[in-house]
Amino acid sequence: MKPAPFDYARAESLDEAVRLLAAADGDARPLAGGQSLGPMLNLRIARPTLLVDLSPVAELREVSEDEDGVTIGASVVHSAIEDGEVPDPTAGLMRRAASGIAYRAVRNRGTVGGSLAHADPAGDWAPVMMALGASLGIRGPEGGRSVEADAFIADPLTTVLEPGEIVEAIRVPRLSSGASWGHCKLCVKPGDFAESLAVVVIDPDRDHCRVALAGPTHAPILLEEVAGTVADANGWSDALAGEIKDAAGRGIAAAGFADTGDRYAINVHSTVTVRAAREALSR
Amino acid sequence: MTSTTITVNGRAVTADVEPRLSLADFLREHEGLTGTHTACEHGVCGACTIMLDGRPARSCITLAVAAHGTDVRTVEGWDGDGTMATIRDCFRKAHAVQCGYCTPGMLATAYDIVTRLPGADRDRIRLELSGNLCRCTGYIGIVDAIETAIAEIEGGS
Amino acid sequence: MNDRGVGASIPRKEDDRFLMGTGEFTPDVRIAGMWHAAFNRAPIAHGRLLSVKAPKGAEGQVFSSADMADIKPIRSTASFPGFKGADFPVLARDKVRYAGEQVAIAVAPTRAEAEDIADAIEVEYEALPAVVDMNDGREPSAALVHDHWADNVCCETEFANGALEAAKEAAVHTVHRRFRMARQTPFPMEGRGTLAHYDSRLDELVVWMSHQLPHPMQRGIAHFLDLEINRVRVICPDVGGGFGLKTHLDGETMAVCWTSLRLGRPIKWVQDRLEHLICDADCRNHQYTMTAYTDEIGKILGMEVECVVDAGAYSPWPWPIGVEAATGVGNLQGPYTVDALKGRSVTVCTNKPPSQPFRGVARPGACFTDELTMDAIARTVGREPWEVRLDNLVPPEAMPYDTVTRKHLDSGDYPEAFRRCVAAIDPEAVRERQRTPEPDGRLIGVGFACFYEQTAYGTGPFGYSAWGIELVPGMEMATVKLTPDGGLWASVGIQCHGQGLETTLAQVATSELGIDPDRIAIRHGDTATAYAGTGTYASRSIVVAGGAVAQGCRELKPRLARIGAHLLQCDEAEVAVENAEVRGPGGSVSFAEIAEAFYHHPENLPDDTDRGGLTVTTGYNDKVHGGVFGFGAHGAVVAVDPETGQVEILDYAIVDDCGTRVNPLVVKGQVIGGYAQGIGNALYEESDYDENGQPLSVTLADYHVPAAPMVPDIKYDYMESPSPYSTMGIKGVGESGAIGPVGAIGNAVNDALKGLGVEIAETPITPRRVFDAIERGRAS
Ligand SMILES: Cc1cc2nc3c(=O)[nH]c(=O)nc-3n(C[C@H](O)[C@H](O)[C@H](O)COP(=O)(O)OP(=O)(O)OC[C@H]3O[C@@H](n4cnc5c(N)ncnc54)[C@H](O)[C@@H]3O)c2cc1C
Ligand code: FES
Ligand code: FES
Repeated sequence: MKPAPFDYARAESLDEAVRLLAAADGDARPLAGGQSLGPMLNLRIARPTLLVDLSPVAELREVSEDEDGVTIGASVVHSAIEDGEVPDPTAGLMRRAASGIAYRAVRNRGTVGGSLAHADPAGDWAPVMMALGASLGIRGPEGGRSVEADAFIADPLTTVLEPGEIVEAIRVPRLSSGASWGHCKLCVKPGDFAESLAVVVIDPDRDHCRVALAGPTHAPILLEEVAGTVADANGWSDALAGEIKDAAGRGIAAAGFADTGDRYAINVHSTVTVRAAREALSR
Repeated sequence: MTSTTITVNGRAVTADVEPRLSLADFLREHEGLTGTHTACEHGVCGACTIMLDGRPARSCITLAVAAHGTDVRTVEGWDGDGTMATIRDCFRKAHAVQCGYCTPGMLATAYDIVTRLPGADRDRIRLELSGNLCRCTGYIGIVDAIETAIAEIEGGS
Repeated sequence: MNDRGVGASIPRKEDDRFLMGTGEFTPDVRIAGMWHAAFNRAPIAHGRLLSVKAPKGAEGQVFSSADMADIKPIRSTASFPGFKGADFPVLARDKVRYAGEQVAIAVAPTRAEAEDIADAIEVEYEALPAVVDMNDGREPSAALVHDHWADNVCCETEFANGALEAAKEAAVHTVHRRFRMARQTPFPMEGRGTLAHYDSRLDELVVWMSHQLPHPMQRGIAHFLDLEINRVRVICPDVGGGFGLKTHLDGETMAVCWTSLRLGRPIKWVQDRLEHLICDADCRNHQYTMTAYTDEIGKILGMEVECVVDAGAYSPWPWPIGVEAATGVGNLQGPYTVDALKGRSVTVCTNKPPSQPFRGVARPGACFTDELTMDAIARTVGREPWEVRLDNLVPPEAMPYDTVTRKHLDSGDYPEAFRRCVAAIDPEAVRERQRTPEPDGRLIGVGFACFYEQTAYGTGPFGYSAWGIELVPGMEMATVKLTPDGGLWASVGIQCHGQGLETTLAQVATSELGIDPDRIAIRHGDTATAYAGTGTYASRSIVVAGGAVAQGCRELKPRLARIGAHLLQCDEAEVAVENAEVRGPGGSVSFAEIAEAFYHHPENLPDDTDRGGLTVTTGYNDKVHGGVFGFGAHGAVVAVDPETGQVEILDYAIVDDCGTRVNPLVVKGQVIGGYAQGIGNALYEESDYDENGQPLSVTLADYHVPAAPMVPDIKYDYMESPSPYSTMGIKGVGESGAIGPVGAIGNAVNDALKGLGVEIAETPITPRRVFDAIERGRAS
């Protein structure tokens, strides 16, 4: 299990990284923490011609905070968020999500930007950022642009990034004081990728209520009907749980999120959605 | 070939290596530090866990070239560290070692738990160990060892 | 008295090197000029191999079976009825029979370069339909895994004992069930590995292997390469776990040895995890159809069983296809007084990797079957399963007891072990708790399993000689030597890969001679230092090697006494040999002084000093060839989440008895290690294949080895019923912990589900299987 050969370059700045990627022929890719790319290289699933190492790029580790939210550099590692080294505008949701990703040794190297760009369908950050209404700052040879988190992942392992584009930062909006959230991740063993992961964010003051769902076979989705039900809810009840479960089932079917014949998967996804909603509504 | 300079157990090492060489293989093949084991090479099992800039990291999915400028400590590099000495002693007494293959990675994670989470109870210790597989011990001895190490270090300091 | 001998919980002598990172595993061994090997492997499960072409520029670095005409194919033998022989080619020849089968070896200065070449080898195949499921493989329409066979059944055994017809007639209840165990892999943390190097000075092929059986590998490598045994040395250095996986001679090792000889270069192959999960031997893939006949209160009168085993594509050497199935049927009555049993086993070849014994061999499958049957009986007769078990367990007054499958259970109070386990779990309290729904909606269940563990068996009925196999373990040998400075050196033919035998064998010697364990060196795993042996498997090493070391020490004693008495100027009859000295009426001489006299001052020796010197090579031969029997009881309380199908173990108790415990710390460690593997067996681990025989569990993202949070703390208790037959009453304990969990957890899950009228009968009990069962229950 050793990678196929590739070339390697260290980028000292974002501009240099963009330049190196643009100048390369073949499959040139950024390297962030290597915590997804590393396994793919070792398994020879990924066979890039050139890796451009972003780790020396200081700009990508920057974090800035203002009244409306926090901008997190793409190279910030999961453990920095877990430990609260990064200001958390989400009342603990980001810290919870970070601490459930893989294991400490992986969190010490794996980055938020790398995770989103890798777009594992069961990855933890995408549904969190989608539910929060975060956006991604992107830099490429043509300059910069911004993409909403819910429009960033097209398919499993596929994003809207054009060749040579780099995720620069993630802009996370600040939740109001009356906001609440729920987060439920189901996996075989702690630290595994999710079998199902739902994130619910309710922020009535900002008129924001979102429910995101992620799983192993389909790009993460927003469940709008569930969000509507949750937004209108008044406390928790068994009847509401049933309503959410049914609405989740409809959303899953409509998106083709799980195989229609796979009753187990549909059940697990809708159950996890209910549990995340219950946490959000019980806060 | 790309040059990389890594401080390995306190000693700066510079080498020209293939970019595809993992840090684990760099340590094992170039530095002869075969205490670092690999057992999955895809980040899951934890056997290859070393300390990188004072934090546990997987050496199987970290490229040697990407570790340029870092400070790496392997199982061979803990001479004079009282905390590690205590952890080792607790591992011995709790029979936390059987075949020994997972042990170097376990020690790195144990060190992280003991120093970062001195309040960890058994459940938390188990959770933090979930990225280190051991096929022999059934973990109970390892959890015992870390729990005792935390208590001893707490009591001693 | 040295109190660090047998019975003392001393920390292990081997721990230091592992804790310091200075152990030496096969991948750690380096020799100047060494190259690395990688294998090109079949991408399909079944097909004709048409051509193999090395990439340009790498012609001298690639070899396929066409190049290896001088290697004999690996062939195992057995006398099982209908046993069909088939060669296990070192590299695929004519056909590939499972996905991942090795087709060609590529060598290069680094592993990465070897993989580059292996990747670039061009191989042409003609795909054939694959036989994936064992039941399909029995159909007349099935494709043939081995073309020269009439069908895929490669071995069938029958067994009958007792009056089954009478039992059927007397029966008030008949309980019929079918059980299935998924394919699994033993998953030692260190995979296989081989480094072969021709030593020109000694004209000897030195083979470092991550393996459990040094001497059998020496014989096998020599035989299949057509070399004199004198020209092969096998060293098994530190080995990162084995669990049964590392007991067969793999084709990769043979190819590495051949290539090393061919190129005159040390060649190393380290199996990576992908290779391990795709195509290393699997295990446990059994199906049991059980009919139990009972009286009114659930006392079992007779059993009728069929056991079908999915053997995969080839029969491994030295232990052939058929051993699993024979062991499965041969233990189905469990620790119970069943008087009549009729069993049949069928072993089927499929297009999957060969199957191999894994910790417990077929006993976890047998335990799953008899223990889930026991609970099904209890539900049928309307009694609690623990009451029914107590009525069926072999009572202590019946010991020694010959089971219906001719196991000679040697000693112990099985019901007492079970009663202690029941007390630890308190199932009445669980019943009380079950009366009110849980706040979180989960279902609570309690389950138990009782079992025995046949350890250190040899040539008896259902033992190795009855199977007609090539290597029958018998006398296990040890050499013990008093060193010139009064320490002890002992060399044994077993191999220690985590069991702590460097410590426990030393403790045995300490008990005999009083030498401190720190002054005793145990050498193992090397055919050049050990006289003979068959390695470590079947929970045998502490019994057989312990017996041999003890015997060696005992034979040394009169020699020490003779010299000691001479040095003390007294009569031999007046001295005692203990505490590392020879004590006479007027004083004592230490072993060091005796050794000093023997090795360096022969002028001080008596004229009739034993010509054997201070070295003894001797053996342990079991008095009963069927082995000695450990036993135990496991109890589990689980919570089943009906919404997600997830199972959580809330409480777990183990009571174990392995006779005299040489080192209680190590015994407990073995039991807990087995328990964790049993949890994997029960709840998580499955090597799955698609309908074309493509492996689906090829990384640790899909193959779920239990991590620490999945292995809860246990309530642990032990009993010590020494065996009347073994040295010091020691019984083996290596496998015991792995046998019970499938039964206890399976029963606990079924107890939780009983309100829904459904049962689970298949491992692993995954959330999906639980959910499906619940859906079935709701539908009916
Ligand atoms: C054992 C294990 C378990 C894991 N479990 C989980 C889990 O439960 N949940 C989870 O979410 N993740 C999990 N991960 C993945 C982990 O979170 C990774 O850190 C993350 O997915 C990738 O981040 P990275 O920085 O390591 O990126 P890399 O591996 O370096 O890169 C990943 C991909 O993104 C591209 N890329 C990286 N950075 C950028 C950028 N700034 N702009 C554009 N493209 C970029 C790379 O070219 C590559 O294609 C696990 C990983 C391991 C090894
Ligand atoms: S070898 Fe690195 S995590 Fe398994
Ligand atoms: S001691 Fe063998 S894998 Fe942990």
